[in-house]
Order: sequence, then structure tokens, then C-alpha cells
Amino acid sequence: MATPMDCALLEVKGVSKTFDGVVRALDDVTISVHQNEIVGVVGENGAGKSTLMKILVGVYTPDKGELYCGGKQVPFPKNPKEAAIRGISTVYQEKGVIPLLRVYQFLLLGHEDKYVKFSRLQTDRMKKQAREILEELHVKCDVESYMYELPLSTQKMVEIVRAILSVRLAQGDDHMMSIIILDEPTAPLTIEERRELFGDLLEMKKNASFIFVSHIIPEVMEFTDRVHVLRDGKLVAQYDLSKEKITEKDLFRAIVGRESLETIYKAEDKRVVSEELVLTAKDLTKQGCYYDVSFDLHKGECLGIFGPAGSGKSEIIKTIAGLVSFEEGDLTVKGQKVKADELPHARLGKGIGYFSGETGKELFLNWPIAKNISLVNIEKIVRKPMPVISFDAEKKMTERVMAKLRIKAPSANTDCFSLSGGNKQKVSVGKWVERTPAILLLEDPTIGIDVGARADIYETILEMQKNGISMILVSDDPKEYSVLCDKIMYIKEGRMQRVFSPEEFGEVTKA
Amino acid sequence: MTTLARSRPITTAITQTLKTHPVILALIALFLLFSALYPERFLGPLNFSTILRQFVTLILFALGPSIVIVTGSLDLSYVGIYMLGSVLVWLLTPILGLVSIVVILHLEVATGFLIGVIQVKARIPSFILTLSLLVIYSGLTAYLAGGYPRSVKGYEFITATLIPNLPTAFLWSIPIIAAAVFIMKGTRIGTYLSAIGSNEEGARLAGINVDRYKILAFTLSGLFTGIGSIILFQHHGGSATVELNLNTMVWPLLAIVLGGTSLMGGSGGPQRTILGALTFTVVNRGLVLALLNPEAVQLLLGLLLIVSIVVSSRGLKGVTVT
Amino acid sequence: MKGEKMIAGRPLARGWLRSNTTTIGPILAAVAIIAVFQVINPDFLSYNGLITLVYAMSYFLIAACGLTFVIMTGSFDFSVVSVLKLAALLSVLYVDRLGLWVVPLALLVSVGFGFINGLFVAKFKVPSFMATLGVSVVVEGIALYLSKGFLHVINNETFRALATTFIAGLPSIFYWAMGIWILSTFIALVTPFGRRIYAVGGNPISAGLSGINVAWYRIYVFMLSGLFAGLAGVLYMANWGGGSMELGADAAIPLFASVVAGGTALTGGVGGPHRTLLGVIIITWIQAGMFMLAVGRDIQVVTFGLIALVMSIATIDWRRITIIK
Repeated sequence: MATPMDCALLEVKGVSKTFDGVVRALDDVTISVHQNEIVGVVGENGAGKSTLMKILVGVYTPDKGELYCGGKQVPFPKNPKEAAIRGISTVYQEKGVIPLLRVYQFLLLGHEDKYVKFSRLQTDRMKKQAREILEELHVKCDVESYMYELPLSTQKMVEIVRAILSVRLAQGDDHMMSIIILDEPTAPLTIEERRELFGDLLEMKKNASFIFVSHIIPEVMEFTDRVHVLRDGKLVAQYDLSKEKITEKDLFRAIVGRESLETIYKAEDKRVVSEELVLTAKDLTKQGCYYDVSFDLHKGECLGIFGPAGSGKSEIIKTIAGLVSFEEGDLTVKGQKVKADELPHARLGKGIGYFSGETGKELFLNWPIAKNISLVNIEKIVRKPMPVISFDAEKKMTERVMAKLRIKAPSANTDCFSLSGGNKQKVSVGKWVERTPAILLLEDPTIGIDVGARADIYETILEMQKNGISMILVSDDPKEYSVLCDKIMYIKEGRMQRVFSPEEFGEVTKA
Repeated sequence: MTTLARSRPITTAITQTLKTHPVILALIALFLLFSALYPERFLGPLNFSTILRQFVTLILFALGPSIVIVTGSLDLSYVGIYMLGSVLVWLLTPILGLVSIVVILHLEVATGFLIGVIQVKARIPSFILTLSLLVIYSGLTAYLAGGYPRSVKGYEFITATLIPNLPTAFLWSIPIIAAAVFIMKGTRIGTYLSAIGSNEEGARLAGINVDRYKILAFTLSGLFTGIGSIILFQHHGGSATVELNLNTMVWPLLAIVLGGTSLMGGSGGPQRTILGALTFTVVNRGLVLALLNPEAVQLLLGLLLIVSIVVSSRGLKGVTVT
Repeated sequence: MKGEKMIAGRPLARGWLRSNTTTIGPILAAVAIIAVFQVINPDFLSYNGLITLVYAMSYFLIAACGLTFVIMTGSFDFSVVSVLKLAALLSVLYVDRLGLWVVPLALLVSVGFGFINGLFVAKFKVPSFMATLGVSVVVEGIALYLSKGFLHVINNETFRALATTFIAGLPSIFYWAMGIWILSTFIALVTPFGRRIYAVGGNPISAGLSGINVAWYRIYVFMLSGLFAGLAGVLYMANWGGGSMELGADAAIPLFASVVAGGTALTGGVGGPHRTLLGVIIITWIQAGMFMLAVGRDIQVVTFGLIALVMSIATIDWRRITIIK
């Protein structure tokens, strides 16, 4: 690792930012970036990483704080162009690539004014410039290809080259430094592509410094020189990985915080899991996401699939839900083989329900609670034999659910968008409480909600398990697995590593 | 990603062009087919000039919308603009003389600009916006014209025959088409519009002023339709029509789609529309010669429209389409 | 992200205002229009005046109900008018040979085209506007081909009676329209089928996860739209008894305007046929009023274009869509 200069290339001190006078996104945060460094900024969703980056790039202005470039204090940039003149540019997590443009067009997008003569684009000069910079930064691709023709990691590399080029062009002859912010760059990539990306990034360290924003711990550990940890808007830890010996667990605890490791719900006595098999996965494979995943699920059992972000756990659970199709292997539900490209509604017909804690996408926010709960349970509130909905039955069903989950709302007819996050999640869970599918898939069920709501949801989930509903859980919170699961499968880079019991797992994820 | 041998540049260039523009093959095939079936009539000078006439009408209507489609929006207002413009010429010529024809231009550019601004600020889906505008303009046209088609004298010089059997309008259209292609391929406007159509959010993140360029796209559409209207006005005998014909509205769209411009934006544009318009005209003439029954021709062209729309949309897998 | 947490109070207030505007607005507009026209011409609300209105409104309402279902799922059906014309044409052409059997024939053909529309949108992923535009061109082509441009007249009394039998002072076409309207409202608000349609328009992915076969529901609504358009066409022909169809391509606009004016948003998932009645009343009564004021058809067309435009803006749910093309 390169020795950092005495004077930091970039330093932000004491940055604070509050939204709407209420939500404190950043509270007195200080980070620094040195020459030829890859600096990690890590934290959970909502920790403030994204806000901090947006401040650096000029999209937001901070309420408090100072910015130093090369030791001199400068004002915060007011827009991305000013940020580029300072030397800061961003590569976005998604939607940054324009698929139908050619590589040279994309690289120089926004800078055409330097290649224009009498309003005619000098495409030859553009292509030449594109080839030169790609070669300088060791990225191999044809400048005439369309962006969509390149493999995803190459697309990401081209995005990074574009960011560096933007900064150089903005600074012109005064080119001093390039600091490129990489916002969760590996999220859309396959496992092999990530390796490639990191290889190229390490090469590029000679030409620029990088701020690597992520929550994928193994990658951060392996590829950054220093790490800043944000939690709830505050800088809680800072490690110099070249000097200190830090383990993944340390980083994990810093990110998640000691408080949330407290037992908030005591697991009951070990549940007796039946012998009956409800779901079998054998050698499920999807190129770039997961390989040879096999497991059995018994009636009443809860299987947790755990792993770092990007390990494939999300794709696996979505595959079982029908949102993603698998390429090889077999999936058998209640003794019947299931087709790889089945749609979610068909999977539901076979007894598999899915919900995610991202209530923005999950619920019909402009519908009342009652309608959200009844949609998946429509059959139950139909006044047979006519195809007519019984509003009375719907109301009773909703009130039942609201009581059981302690959903706080004026009435069953309250529109969902006005509910708090925790209550929204309860509605999400609630509809499955009524539906009682044979298998329920839970993805991030309690993301971002408070302790009380979480406890209510856990209680309900455990009761459903006692009633014979089998479950698969995917989450970012290890405590959740210990509370809810009967066995936990650890996945890394798309492959199963080993299976833990809840006690073993608790040990492994503790100090 | 391209691994073609560099040793024979001309051949590879041709092969590449054919691959990305399959409609050329269709065009050649159809041309040969009709020539073989009806040699005297199809290859005769009269047919030739008819094809060119139809081509001119089509391309001058289609250039503007093809620019807008690249951004992913639709512009259906062209027929309305043309109609209203014609009626205004009829109204104003007695007062302002031949200068009135320039009035069309101003009207159409202003309309394009207005559409762009409304689309961007009020966020209405462009098809409804431009369809409503089309309807409004056609209504205004009928109102101003008192319900009858009106003819205007005095502009014959625009299309006076210079070369026998070659419609002068065609000669006029050449620089117009060239200008459109230049703007879209030779300046950064085309790149930006393509970017907006391919990934609007990404274009915004890359620093492109998306609102401004969308408005520009609609304004250019109005401009080209306007210039085209001036030519077409006389090309059609110097009369203002008051009937809104579904076909007149739809065939330019078919020309655009046939040419290979994607409905979702991001690729294609005027250069492809030239091919589409040519192909459409050839098909149309061929069918008319073959069947002589205008209704059957219309039916078949309608089927062609559907087929090409479906084929054109095949690149949309994974997208939720409503 | 933390910055996105909203205070529960604020969106609540905005939402209340918004949902009330789209409910109260059309009602106020309808009342205002009636009042204005009644003042201008006291005969407006007379029996004769109302009958004329009823004739205009009825077939329109039927077609608009069908279109409403499509718009509720977030799609658009441009072919409604063309299918209506074709159904009317089929009735005229074959009523002499087939008698009342011409009705199921026309309906079958209409549903068939609706199915084709649905197939294009759901299976081939063609944007609904383009797909229905294409189908409408083909349908017009067929209609042109079959009619060969001639005027036709119906002599079959039974057929005409479908629309013109007077019961309790109102023509039977009115009862058809009311029946369809009640049926549509019932389907939309009270049946699982209707609930699912709202779901598909409101959040297609969630709908799928809730067990709804989204692709088929998209097809169903287009089939409904086709069916109702066909019925409207048949009754229209039964009412007028022949002659060439006055409807041009621009007739789609008043139809669309009446759906949006009632409060069904283009974005889908809200509104419904019960609202469309209000929109149809507004549009047809404006039409009648303008006719009464001897305003030319051209200005009428302009007005409807403007209404369609304004109501589209007013009803779009900005919360849901960030990128509009």
C-alpha cells in the first residue's frame, strides 16, 4: 500500500446535514482521502453514506462543515461541474450507463464542446481521445462498440474512466487530483466480474484516489487502504487497514452497533420440526449469481440464508419466489418439480408466498390497509356463490390482523402511505398471516424499523412457524437469524459454505 | 467486440450496414419482386415519379417525429400542424402576400416548442399530449376554413417542374433531409437525444440538461414539419385540407418503425427513416399495382404496421410495458 | 435513506386534498354545465332536450366503460372507436341475412380484436398506444373493405327495436347503457376480478406476488373494452338505422376525455367506471350544449382536445411516475 502524503488530498471536517429540520442525515462527520488511496466509507442503509457523497459532488449543501483540498480550505461545490473542477466525480451505483451510446460517445458525454468545430462533432478526434485514455488506464474495449455490448464489469470500468476524464477535462491544465467516488460499484456485477473490477481498480490507484462506498464487508476489507464507518449519521470508527489488524467481525460490529446485538426477543424452546419435506432445492445454478445451491426445507422449519451483500442470497430467495429464474438444477415443491421460469403468481398457486421489507414497492400505498391485506386473501372474503366481495368480512379480517400485530392506525380504512415504516411492514406481514401459505419467503422483513415493531413482527412470525408454515429468511441482521431460524446456511460468492444451528451461529457472529 | 477482418474495408462496411439495417434487404427484395412481376408499370417513368412523390410526402412528415421518437417520446401532431398552417396561409395570403408561407414555419416551431414545454413541465405522456393537440388543431382548421378545403394560388413556383418526371419537391427535400441527418448524426444533439432515450436518468446524472434537450427535440420536430409543410402545401396542389385522415397520421409512423428506429428511443432517427419511407412507398406502389383495390391495400399496410411494431418492440424484454 | 422519511402529517394533507379534488371536481363541473346551459336555453332540460342527450350519451357511456377498465390498468386503447365502427358496420351488412344473430357475431369479432390488443401488450410487450393504433388501422381497413364506401340502411325492425323501444318514456338504449354502467361499477368495486384490475394498474409486481396473473388480466381488460365497444356499435346502428359513420379518428378524444374527466387517471390503479358516468355526462352535455349554441363541430373538437389535455394533467399521480415520455 502506498504511503499517504502528509497532507491529505481531500478532507471534509465536521459535516452536518439535516433534512426538513427533522431528519439528521449527517452529524459532525470527518473523512479524509490521501493520494493514491482507496478509502472505504461503509455503513448500513440510511447511515448517511449517500448524503455525504452527494455533498462532495455538489448535489446537496451541508448545514455545517469545512472542505479542504490539498490543505487549503475551499467552499463546498454547488453543483457537479464545480465538484469536477475540484477533482471530485462520481460513478453511480445504477442507471449510470447509457446502453445505446457507443463507448467513445459515452466517455465524452457532456464534454463535446471541446470536440466541436462549427457545431460539427469531430468524431475522429473523439475516438482518438477515447482510445488514448482507455489505453492509459488499461481498459480493453473497442471505442466503437455500443455500451450494452460490453460485459458489465467493463461497463463499470468505462464509467470510472469517464469520471476520471471528466475531472481532467474540468480541471484542464491545472489538473491536480482526481478523486472518484464509487457508489456500491459491485452491486450489479457477478462474482467473477467483481474480481476483474478490483484488479483493474488497484491498477488505477496510480492515476486517482477512490472513495469506495459499500456495505459488502469482505470487499472493503480486501481492497481499501483505510475505512470510515458511518452509523446513524455519525462517524463511529476509522481504521487504517495497512496498520491495524481488523477482522470482518470488528467491521461488522462497528457498522451494526453494539446496541442492536442486545437480545430483544428471547427465543422459545426449540421448536419440533416435522419430517415432512415441503421444498427441495438441488444444484440450483444461475450464472454469475449462485452455483449448486442445494437444501431441504421441512414443514414448520425456518431456513436462513446468510451471507454478505452480493453473496447471492437475495437472488436465491427471489428465485424461489419466481421473480428470478434459475438456469440449472431442480426445485421441487411438495413433491412436484417446478419450472424454472414460472411467474410469481404461479408459485403462489403452489403455496409459496414472498414479501420484502421494502414497503415502498411491496404495498399499494394509496390503498387502505384493508385492501392491502385482503388482496392476497380475496378468496376468503368472497360471499359465495357469487363473485362478490363481502366488505364486512374484509373489515373483520383486517381488524383481526391489526389486533394480532398491534398495527397502530385510525381504522382499517386508513390509507397506507400515512402509516409509519413499522406499521407498513406489519401490514405486509399481516396479509401473509391470514393467507397461511405453505412456504413463506421473507426478505429483509424488518429493515429500518424500531425495536417495538420488530418484536411484534417476530412474535407473529414465530407463531406462524408453530402453525406449520415453513419459511426462508434473508436479511442483513444476524440477530434476526438467531431468533427466527432453525438452521442457517452461510453463502459466500454464490456457493454454500456450511450450515449452522442458531446457537452456533450466535457464537460465530458475536465477539 | 467487432472481429471483422480489416483487410477489406468496403465489403465489411457494407456487411455491417446490412446487419444493422435489415430493412435494406427487404427494400431490395421488394423492389426486385415488383419489378419482376410488373416490369412495364413498375419500372416505368410514371411509377418512378409517383414513388418519389409519395416518398416526399412521407419523409417530410416523418422527419420531425423521428427526432422525437429517439428521445423515447411520441409526436403525433404533425398532421395537425400542417393542416392549421395551410389554412393560415389561405387566410393570410390575401393580406400579406407570398410571405405568409413563412408564417407556417413560425407556427410550427412555436407549436413544437409549446409541446416540449408542456411535456416537460406538466409531465403528460407525449402521445396523449400530441394527440390532443392534433385534434385541437384539426378542429381549429375546420373552423377557420369554414368547413371546406380551400385552395391558394400563387405558390406554384415552389414546385414548378425543373426536371421532367422528377418532382421538384423531391429536390427540395434533399437538403431538408440532409439537415436533419446532420443534426442527429453530426452534432452532439443527436448523441444527447439518444442518451435521453436510452436512459433518461443516466443522461441526467451525466450532466445533460434533459429538460432543455427534450424541448429542443419537440421544437426541431415542429421546425422540420414546418419546412416540410411549406413544400407539401404546394406539392398537394396548394389546398388546405380539413379532413383528419387516420392514414395520413399513421403512415409516417410506419415509415419510422420500418426504418428500424426503436419505439422506446435511444437509436435510429432520420437517417433510418429515409429507408423506412422508401420501403413503405415501394410496398405501397407495388401493392396498388398488384391489387388495384385501395381497401385491400390499406388492410395489408395496416397488417404491416402491426408486424413491424411487434418486431420493433422485441428488444423490450424485461420491461414492464403498459 | 433517512432523508426520505416523511412526517406522517404532510403527505396526509396533500393526499386528502388531491383525492377530494378528483371526486368533487367532476361533480361541480357537471352541475355548473347544466346550470349554464339551462340558463342559456330553457329547453335544455325539457323532455325533448333530454331525449336527445340520452341518445348521444348512451352508446358513448357503454364504450367509455370498457375504455375505463383498460385505463385503470395503466394502458390505453386507441382502437375503441374503430371497433365500434366495425361492429356497427357488421350489423348493417348482415342483419338482413342473419337477423338478430348479427349481434353475437359483432360482439365476437369485437372481443377478438380486444384479445389481439391484449396479446400484443401482454405477450409481445408492445406499448399499448402503438399496438392499439396498429390494430385500429387494420380494423378501419377491414371496415372500409367491407363497406366499399356505400351507405347502407337497415330495414329489420326487430333489430332496431333493440335500441328504440320506449319504456317508461326512455328509449331502450338508455337502459342498455345504464345496465352496462351498473354492471361495470359492480365488477370494478365489488368483485375480486375488479379488485385485481386495480391491483395490476396500481403496482404490477405486487399484483403478481399476490397471485394475480398480470398478463391475463391485461388481456381481459382489452377484451372487455372490445366487447363494450362492439355493443356500443351495435346499439348505435340500431338507433340510427344506417348511414355512414360520422366518427373519425378524432372521436377517440372525447371518449378518452370522458374517462379522464371522471377521475380515472392515466397512471392506472385509480378511478373506475362509476366515475366515468360523470365524465360522460360532462362531455356529452357540453357537446349538446355547443350544438345548441350552434357551435361548429370543429370548435367542439377543439374543446374536447383541451379537456382531455387538462384532465390528464390534473389526474396524473406524480407520486408514482418520475420519468414520463
